[in-house]
Order: sequence, then structure tokens, then C-alpha cells
Amino acid sequence: MAGRQDVTDRAEPAVSVDALMRRLEGDLRNQLRRQLLDRGGAREYTDAELFALVEHVLRHAVEAREHDALLLPALMSDEDEWELQTHLRFSSHRPILGKLIVFLKRRVLLPVTRWLYEYSLENFRRQQRVNRVLFACLEELAIENARLRHDLERLTDKS
Amino acid sequence: MKLACVVHRFGADIAGGSESHCRLVAEHLAANHDVTILTTCAKDHVTWQNTYPAGVSQAGPLRVLRFPVDRPRSLHRFAEISEIVLAGRASPAEQEQWFVENGPRASDLIEYLRQHGAEFDRILFWAYRYYPTFFGLPLVADRALLVPTAEEDPLIRLPILGRFFALPRGYVFLTPEEAELIARRSEGPPAPFCIVGSGLDPALPMRGSGPPLAEPFLLYLGRIDPNKGCETLLRYFVRYQERGGPPVHLVMAGPANMEVPDHPLIERLGLVDDGARESLLSRASLLMVPSPFESLSLVLLEAWNYGVPALVNGRCSVLKGQALRANGALYYGRFDQFAACLDYLLTHPDVARQLGRQGLAYVDREYRWPQVMRKIGDFIAGCC
Repeated sequence: MAGRQDVTDRAEPAVSVDALMRRLEGDLRNQLRRQLLDRGGAREYTDAELFALVEHVLRHAVEAREHDALLLPALMSDEDEWELQTHLRFSSHRPILGKLIVFLKRRVLLPVTRWLYEYSLENFRRQQRVNRVLFACLEELAIENARLRHDLERLTDKS
Repeated sequence: MKLACVVHRFGADIAGGSESHCRLVAEHLAANHDVTILTTCAKDHVTWQNTYPAGVSQAGPLRVLRFPVDRPRSLHRFAEISEIVLAGRASPAEQEQWFVENGPRASDLIEYLRQHGAEFDRILFWAYRYYPTFFGLPLVADRALLVPTAEEDPLIRLPILGRFFALPRGYVFLTPEEAELIARRSEGPPAPFCIVGSGLDPALPMRGSGPPLAEPFLLYLGRIDPNKGCETLLRYFVRYQERGGPPVHLVMAGPANMEVPDHPLIERLGLVDDGARESLLSRASLLMVPSPFESLSLVLLEAWNYGVPALVNGRCSVLKGQALRANGALYYGRFDQFAACLDYLLTHPDVARQLGRQGLAYVDREYRWPQVMRKIGDFIAGCC
């Protein structure tokens, strides 16, 4: 969008939130790495730099990727066949009694079983979120892999 | 200029964020322009029941035109359509129906815009999610400025909004993050915009002593609701205490829409008046802002106005952006980050105080009414 945003010149703050957060997050990363190693996590994590790179890739997938615009779901077959359907659609194939049946389902059956529906709904939503995060992680890794492959090809061509 | 401001509810006694923002901006605009408020007779944001009388009235410098709501909101129908639409694969007709059911449906207001919209030089619309804006703006798009008050909630992803966001002549945004969000969603060419936020008057010296509380305390101020991130805040706080964190109190001030755990370090105050609110803000060690969705956190600006630092939900890009721009708050996304930030701020009170001072300097720089009105005034007059 073409807009105007005032940029005010100002002195460096005495406390930079960005720098402070990076320091705190660095401490947490080290703490997490040690915990994982203590619990038998991947031995590669003894290398703190490598761990930071792994964490960066996964964190980018979880936090920065737009989970509604991913390649993998777009490549899968018709989404009706695999995506979790988290809402109820009431319908009936009966031409005459159909409206009454839908009314009974919606106004009698649903209120009675609402607790079960809401319990399942929340869990479906969680599963859907996990699925999207996993799709995003796979995409992040695929992008990383493609980039490395590309760099490797360029280096091979040069030599 | 002859300006109209369209908002779903209007009144000095209405506490909603976009409604208050509209009222305050309109009152300030009225110093230099002829401003009419176009709104409904609704007061209750759940039912939209007609409460105010329809017709013309005066509210200070503002002429107010109220239109009746056709029918109260059916919570049953609204819940049903929300389940379908927010699940992500609703038809365009179902998506449009969501805006009808959300209301407040005021056909006379829409008809008024159709017949008299051209009489105004500019028409400002607040909050895209409500009926008057969603159905009214397309009728006067050539002179419409939208204040979307958009958040990164599931509604913003509705496909039909792509076309809608391409309609306004210009935008008035509350934060740069909101501008980016709308730019991502809009299907049209970029529209001119300005980013104004909201104005604040300098904090008054504390009047009275406020509720008696053990200090130091962390403060949550606002509606206590799972949608505001309170469930997570309370869970994290209890876990933080169980893990042996310093015995600091958490004061929850606001009407509760959920159960607050019975815990010796959690104080529930319920709804507080303005005096108590000021007292709490001036005495708090830290403001907690756990909301996952915001277009601008006014309570965060209020806390900075009192020099109080904050700990905010970093998963909300607006809150994280505000924290970084102001250098006035730390942010968390997970429990370990929450605990580390809280530990740090409680054990480094000098740094915490400095963050609060930086927050106040940011408010002084960006959010005083003269600055805000200069930006919005220049934009309305010049850019479109």
C-alpha cells in the first residue's frame, strides 16, 4: 500500500528491547539444548551453533510462515478428502421430511450432545494447528534443501 | 469539510475500543470540520437491542444520526454461521451471511448512505467486521476512508474480504502491523493510508489511594476472557509460582467471562472505575498483556503513559511491534520465555523502570492528541 509513515529521529534507547530479548532467548536456547541432551536428544546438539541453526529453521516455520499459504496442502488431492472438518453441517436427503429432520438434529440432538461436540471441536482445532505447523516445517526444510542444492550446483559449475 | 463517521454503536458510556476511538477522533475532528456521526440505536454489543432513540441528536460538537436495528442478534444463528465460516471453507454467500448475522443490521442506515452519501466530502468507517461498515462502505467507496481495526484473527482470512479491502479510497490504520495485514489481504491496487494510532492526554497525578493491595503486583486490566489470552496468562502465572518464582501478586481488574483460579497470589477486583484504574496503573510494577489479537493495545499505551513497563504476548505481531518500537516491554510466546522475562524484570527493577520511562517517551512522541490529529487531518485533507 502506498502510504506515509512518520519516522522520528531519536537517540539510541538506554535499554534496547531487541538486544535484551536476543540475550534472554539465547540463554533459553542454551538451557533447552542442555535439557534435550540430558534427556537423550540428538547428539548433534552438542554443537551449540548447529543447534541454533536447527532451532532457527523450525522456529521460522512455526512463527513466521503464513500457515494458510503453504505449498504441500495445495499439492495434495481435493482438500475435502483430507482436511479436518471442524464444523457440523446438518442435511437430509429426504425431500419431504428433510426440513423436519434437520430441525430436530439442530434443535434437539445438537443441544443434548453439545458437550461432546465442543470437546471434540477443541481437539480437532488443536490437531489442525499441529498439522499446519508440520506442513510449514516440511516446507521450510524443502526450501532450505532447494537453496543448498542450488548453491551447490552453482559452486560445482564455477569449479 | 463535511465529514461523516460511521460506527456500529456510539455514546460516551460505550466502552468498546473502536467505538471509543471513533468518538474521540470525531470530537477532535469537529474542531476544524462539520462532523456527523451515523450510527445505530444499539447499546448492547451482544444483542444490539435498540436502546437509544432513533433520529437526530447533538453530542457536544457532533451531530448524531441514529438508525434503528432491524432485529436483535440471534446468538444461535450467529454461532452456527460462525462455526461454518471460521472453519475456513464457506461459500461466498455464507461468508456474507456472517456479516448479516454479526450485525447490527440497520437497513435505514444503509439506505441513508445510498441516498445522502454524496453530500459528505469524506465518510470514515470504523471496524470492517460490522454490518454498517461491510454493507455501507461499498455504496460510497469513492469517498470512504476505512479505519479497519483489523486483528490477525480467523475472520481476516475470509476470501470475500479481498475484494472488500480493495474498495476504500484510503485507510487510517492504528499500527504498521495492521497496514501490512490489510495489504496482504487486499486484492486491489495499494490505497493511500496513514498510521495514526490513538491519542492520550498526559496522565493525571493520582487521585485517592485506590484499592488496598499488596505490592509489588503485576496488573492485568481489561475483560477477563479466554479470547483475551487470560486463560494462558493465569496458567502460566500459576505454573511460574509452582516453579518457585518470587511471590509477586497478579491483580486481575475487569469483568470476568471465565473462571479465575483460587490462588493466594491472584487478586480479583472485578470492574473498576476510572479512579481505581488510574491508581492501579500508577502503582503496578508491570502490566501483563496476554491478548493474541489486537489492532492496537490502548491499555499498553495507558500503562506507558504512567511509566509502567509491560510483558506482552509476542505471538501477537501488533503487541510485539509496539514493544519493539517503544522499547517499553518484553514479550513471550511460550512458558519458558514468559518465566525468563518475568524473572528478569522482577530481579532488575532498574531496567524495568527504564523500560517504563522509554514507553512514556514513546507515548509523548507518537500518541499525544495534537500529533495524532495533525496526521489524520493532513491525510483527510491532502491525500485523497
